[in-house]
Amino acid sequence: MWLVRPAQPGDLKAILELAGGVGPRMSSTLPRKDEALAEKIEQSVRAFEGSQDPDETLRFLFVLEDTDTGAVRGVAGIDSRAGHGQPFYNYRQDALIHASHELGVSRRVDVLYPSHALTDHTLLCAFTIDPELRGTDAFELLSRARMMFIASHRHLFTDQIVVEIQGVQTDTGEVPFWDSLGRHFFNMDFETADQYSGALSKTFIAELMPPNPIYVTLLSPEAQAALGQAHEKTRPTYELLQREGFSAGAYLDIFDAGPVLEARTDHLKTIVSSLAGTLHGNPSEDGEPCLISGGGQGKFRCTVTSMAETLTRDIKVPVKTWHCLGLDSGEQVRVSPL
Amino acid sequence: MLVIRPLQENDLEALYAMAQSAGKGLTTLPADRDLLRRKIRHARETFDQRCAPEAGLHLFALEDTELEQCVGISGIQARVGLDEVFYNYRLSVTVNASRELGVHVRTPTLHLSNDMTDTSEICSLLLSDSHRGGGNGLLLSRCRFMFLDHFRKHFSEKVFAEMRGVSDKEGRSPLWDALGRQFFDMDFTEADVLSGLGNKSFIAELMPKFPIYLPMLPDEARAVIGRVHDNTAPALKMLQAEGFNFNGMVDIFDGGPVVEAFIHNVRTVRDSADRIVMIRSKPYVPEQGRQEEVMVCNGSFRNFRVTTVPADCVSIDTISLSASVAKALEVEAGDRVRLAPLKDTGQNPINHYRNTNHVGRSSRA
Repeated sequence: MWLVRPAQPGDLKAILELAGGVGPRMSSTLPRKDEALAEKIEQSVRAFEGSQDPDETLRFLFVLEDTDTGAVRGVAGIDSRAGHGQPFYNYRQDALIHASHELGVSRRVDVLYPSHALTDHTLLCAFTIDPELRGTDAFELLSRARMMFIASHRHLFTDQIVVEIQGVQTDTGEVPFWDSLGRHFFNMDFETADQYSGALSKTFIAELMPPNPIYVTLLSPEAQAALGQAHEKTRPTYELLQREGFSAGAYLDIFDAGPVLEARTDHLKTIVSSLAGTLHGNPSEDGEPCLISGGGQGKFRCTVTSMAETLTRDIKVPVKTWHCLGLDSGEQVRVSPL
Repeated sequence: MLVIRPLQENDLEALYAMAQSAGKGLTTLPADRDLLRRKIRHARETFDQRCAPEAGLHLFALEDTELEQCVGISGIQARVGLDEVFYNYRLSVTVNASRELGVHVRTPTLHLSNDMTDTSEICSLLLSDSHRGGGNGLLLSRCRFMFLDHFRKHFSEKVFAEMRGVSDKEGRSPLWDALGRQFFDMDFTEADVLSGLGNKSFIAELMPKFPIYLPMLPDEARAVIGRVHDNTAPALKMLQAEGFNFNGMVDIFDGGPVVEAFIHNVRTVRDSADRIVMIRSKPYVPEQGRQEEVMVCNGSFRNFRVTTVPADCVSIDTISLSASVAKALEVEAGDRVRLAPLKDTGQNPINHYRNTNHVGRSSRA
């Protein structure tokens, strides 16, 4: 069975392999260095244990485990507050009308404004999955398990939720938007800057970017074409998030101009459609497929199961699902249709 | 004789003819009769002190007294940017540095600025083709520094000139194509003409307000920022010899440089000296060899006059002028006039004369 659970220090090696296998990615926020990743897992462990400080950013990291083999095949995260105490940088694509009554002319000018507006919004991040699993139930489980977690721990998260989608990158690793903008200020290619971003922080790099607005018309044609465009391989993620209720707004990633998707937390499909109830057994494997989660903040588990139809709040699922969740009959769980 | 005097109403046709033959590139004097007429009226009001000193537009004509015709023009705008907004780009540097990343990158950046506001500008120099050479261009240009020096309280301490930037034979400006045009769908020449007709600040208001990072512009555009048009190179050289320097500002359309100097530091001003007029009755007999020319001006605001005389007319505290020159300058015997060398010969003929006078006066007498 597929299981999503909190990341543990023992997952370090597996996560490192996953992060290394997906190529350069500035904003995946998954470091590719042992120490940095170990620190990130530690942060997550602390977050799941429950912080004493209500203002502290909780950075949850989940892994997708194949319970049959014990292999970790994917990882996904939630930052309760984007930027975690530092500014969270984006470009906001906006327009100015350059017009003159006297000359009888008017022209729309697109401008990218550096923005911190999304700072402190809850951020979905670090979504990385074994490419073989893209588009499968496991893929959906890994992504939506986070929404199940949010539904059960709503007080930890903000009303707005955002997620950054990887922008356009060529097969040879060039990022047109970076080459037309960021590169001038760093004298380094995207790959190098990306490594620094992982090792230090994205904010650290972002603060070296020009603080002034950028005129879109002065970008290269390739960079202009890449504005707000998602990388081809993120299409399944993008579509899944759209079904979930996310949509692209005016915000772009400052390095690759990938879109930033936004949603109201309480309008997310998983959260609206999820149902809390009491765990019960079901002798057969028939029923509707759904996500099921339980176990509270520290022992959170989420998996895919079949659920027998009921008219009450009793949630009847096969006993193997109990085992997978580490729960017994009568305990509180949450379900949402797959 | 060639005399500088304030521009007058009857100079209109001569001015129109000169503006027409100058063609593109002289945005402050387009060949437009109504506009030129307005400029002349403005200049008259300025010299008659019928307008506020800061609103003044001082236009000088170079008159050929034999032809009784205006053959050149030059001007001083007392203050720029007071009734409209005066824009330049300031060429500055943005540094991105991080010790951790080993990054230290300098990015040349253009910032839109109004820094020249309330500063005096020298402008509108135009010389008829028939009178080129012989120092006439120098006279037209440098007479302005004598005026600025005489009437300093009418002007700012600093004076500047906008130099024409690079454009090709078809009138295409690489900077305009890369920048202005992206924001304002118009050819450079058209924008230039509109500028001359007094719409420059309207156009400027359509230009980008946020800083422009030069690495984002194409190479051709970057290469012309702060560079002058080939035709303007001699004018730039002349102003540099006067002590003008590039001040980091460039034209927002074509990237031409702005050069500036403090009036008290301008060479013509530093090298100038006062003398008392003596009227000579005998005809002037030039000394042997080539003579330096010296500019002589009266001290009249309303009827400012400048002409040139040979340097050997100057003695230690007087200058001998023929009756006709004195008449042209509107001075009489005993009046005080101011002199300055016309050409940059490395030594000041006035001071030179003064120095030699101390030892050689008796031999010349």
